[in-house]
Amino acid sequence: MYRSQKLSLRYFTAAIVLFGVMILFGLLSALYYLYPSMLFNVFNFSTSKILHIDTLVIWLLMAFMGAVYWYLPKELGHEVVGMRLAEITFWVFCAVVAVVALVFVFVQYGSANEFTLWFINQGRKYVEAPRWATIGVVAVMLVFAYNVIGTAVKARRMTGIMWVLVLDLIPLLIVYLDAFPAPTNMSVDLYWWWWLVHMWVESTWEVLIGCVMALVLMDVMGTSRRIVEAWLYIEVMLVLGAGILGLGHHYFWIGTPRYWLGIGGFFSALEPLPLLGMVIHSIYDAGMHRMKTANRPAFYWITAEAFGNFIGAGVWGFMMTLPQINLFSHGTQWTVSHGHFAFYGAYVCGVLAVFYVAKQKTAGTEFLDGRAWKWSFGLFNFGMIGMVMGLLIAGMAQAFYGRAIGGSTLMAFTQASENPWFIAGMYARMGFGVIFALGYVVLVYDLLTAPRRVPAPQTPMEPA
Amino acid sequence: MKVEGATTHEGRAGLDMTDPRFWRAGAISTTLVMLVVLAFLSVDSMRVISVGGAHVPRYDVVNRHIGYQYDWSRREDVPVIGAPEPLFGRTLTEAQATALVREGKLVIQSRACMDCHTFFGNGAYYGPDLTKSWLDPAWPQIWMPMTGKPTREEAMVAFLMNPDQYPTWTRAMPNLHLTEREARATVAYLKWMSAVDTNGFPANFGKTQTQQ
Amino acid sequence: MTPAALIETAVLLGLLVLAGGGYAGLYGYGRLRARPALVAAATACWIAALAIALAIAVVTPLDAGWKVLVVVSAIVYAVIPPATWRYLERLHVAEGEGP
Repeated sequence: MYRSQKLSLRYFTAAIVLFGVMILFGLLSALYYLYPSMLFNVFNFSTSKILHIDTLVIWLLMAFMGAVYWYLPKELGHEVVGMRLAEITFWVFCAVVAVVALVFVFVQYGSANEFTLWFINQGRKYVEAPRWATIGVVAVMLVFAYNVIGTAVKARRMTGIMWVLVLDLIPLLIVYLDAFPAPTNMSVDLYWWWWLVHMWVESTWEVLIGCVMALVLMDVMGTSRRIVEAWLYIEVMLVLGAGILGLGHHYFWIGTPRYWLGIGGFFSALEPLPLLGMVIHSIYDAGMHRMKTANRPAFYWITAEAFGNFIGAGVWGFMMTLPQINLFSHGTQWTVSHGHFAFYGAYVCGVLAVFYVAKQKTAGTEFLDGRAWKWSFGLFNFGMIGMVMGLLIAGMAQAFYGRAIGGSTLMAFTQASENPWFIAGMYARMGFGVIFALGYVVLVYDLLTAPRRVPAPQTPMEPA
Repeated sequence: MKVEGATTHEGRAGLDMTDPRFWRAGAISTTLVMLVVLAFLSVDSMRVISVGGAHVPRYDVVNRHIGYQYDWSRREDVPVIGAPEPLFGRTLTEAQATALVREGKLVIQSRACMDCHTFFGNGAYYGPDLTKSWLDPAWPQIWMPMTGKPTREEAMVAFLMNPDQYPTWTRAMPNLHLTEREARATVAYLKWMSAVDTNGFPANFGKTQTQQ
Repeated sequence: MTPAALIETAVLLGLLVLAGGGYAGLYGYGRLRARPALVAAATACWIAALAIALAIAVVTPLDAGWKVLVVVSAIVYAVIPPATWRYLERLHVAEGEGP
């Protein structure tokens, strides 16, 4: 095992811990909707929500970095350059995250001055972390970029996948610079904020996970490099071709010119088309390699990724993306439903596949299977589908009663939130959220226990 | 398995769709074209959304009456900037208004308003959208009587300083310890923001529709 | 857009993509297992998708441009799964990995 792969395992561990923290604060945030007076004036909804969404960003980022550290030496046939620095950086990263979390929990907010923005809370969704911490994250990312590029230079070779990865790190870092400014004009603030959020989540991260999935496919399914590279390039073309101007669907209502309604609607309406191709691709691959795969959990999570992405981004996205619908659905639990499903489908499933790749390698088994992962796979998927259905019903009730009928005022918002459909949706979300959390518990158990030796690839599944 | 980047393939000329290089060229050119288009659109958008641009008023708009009316030619609601209506009864110079609104934004960030509320529909969904909050009929109908204040802006200040004392329903707003100065700045910010032209979002604000 | 039309339109748009997904899923599985019945079911799904697209064009209050886009994309749905499948076969045959 390469030294950088040991670092990966640390990153994966940190990611899994933060994944748990994310779920915990997700459950807590859901609970406020049912018991609004809970912890009132002591630990408010906003703090819980910040911890939920910021840990989401950080745990996925850590998992991506771990995945790159895992495959980098394998891909280039050379130990990663600057490992000492990378190992120190890991602890710095963890310390920064821990301090920020403690400040969020115990200080929560500050007065209206620059000190608050530098040391307590920046109050911009997803990038609430104070500026000093943002500098820390930039430093971590710079070291990461140095590791990747330096290794390529030292190894004197580059593969297509590595080129895509390196080129992708540049915009990933550039758009993150928007985590610093605090423009007074909300329209300008949100304009660039969406560059950061959309370009991370719907462009550069998609490319990053595309690279990781390409490496996993070669590893787990033994697909040839040429095929994987052709697919990666196609994916990049489609993701960036539709995604860059797909940014427009965030520019409908923030004060931006009217033409964004047409551009944003058009490019997001195109999104289901490539997703159909991806469904075919995953079925083809699944069928071709089913017998060859030596890592069943990773294989199932890769397949789940294609379907989750299709339904979360494709079906849920198309429902609410046309401006005439979005005028009413935007900013309701409907958006939340789409966000949960799309994030889960596009990223969480892929990252879980990588965790199982690492587990197989550390356990040293030739064939990875078992019973626990099936439970966690089932609980996660069932929990997520239930949550997004609950949120969808709640969101539709809000769009219908609060927006279209009520006219979006405080009273309309209140009435929609007291509507039985909304309340039922919120209870459903809570219940299925608990199921999702159980999936996490089983996942942790499964990843921590040594796999049972399963004789050979052709063995039928164990009796359940 | 081929080792290096698989960029070589035995001599097929022309457009070979099984050759990764074909798609690599496609990926690079598509991305570049889209980035160039985005750059042009962003320059144009900045022109429109800068303060004083076609969609975003100058900060001294807080000295004027602001309405929100359906425009039949545009088929959507648009903000209408009307007669003088100074905030807290005092007409501000442009510099004073800018400083006040700027402080309002700092309040909004320091209290993480966006992690319960939405602005232009962006943020969290626990509290109501604040895009047109200045125009919300709840201020004159509920909070002016509740706080005993004679004007909308004073009722807003009283509420923002002690929101937990004036709840309207179970999901009340916590006390975030705003000073009076901070509360006034926030009110100025909300008034300015309600004058931004948002392409008709939110629709029918303050008007109840029939179900069909 | 009336409140009722809002929900109807959104549900139809979602069903359109879902039907398209059903088409792709059944088509892929049918080709994989070489079962013509599944491929026929896939075609039925696509017809459903087209019918939903036409319903969107007829009954919803969407602007004309969006209706055209919806119907055209439903027609394009027909092409994507077979074209992708054929491309994948070519790609894998070129690599000597054909099924």
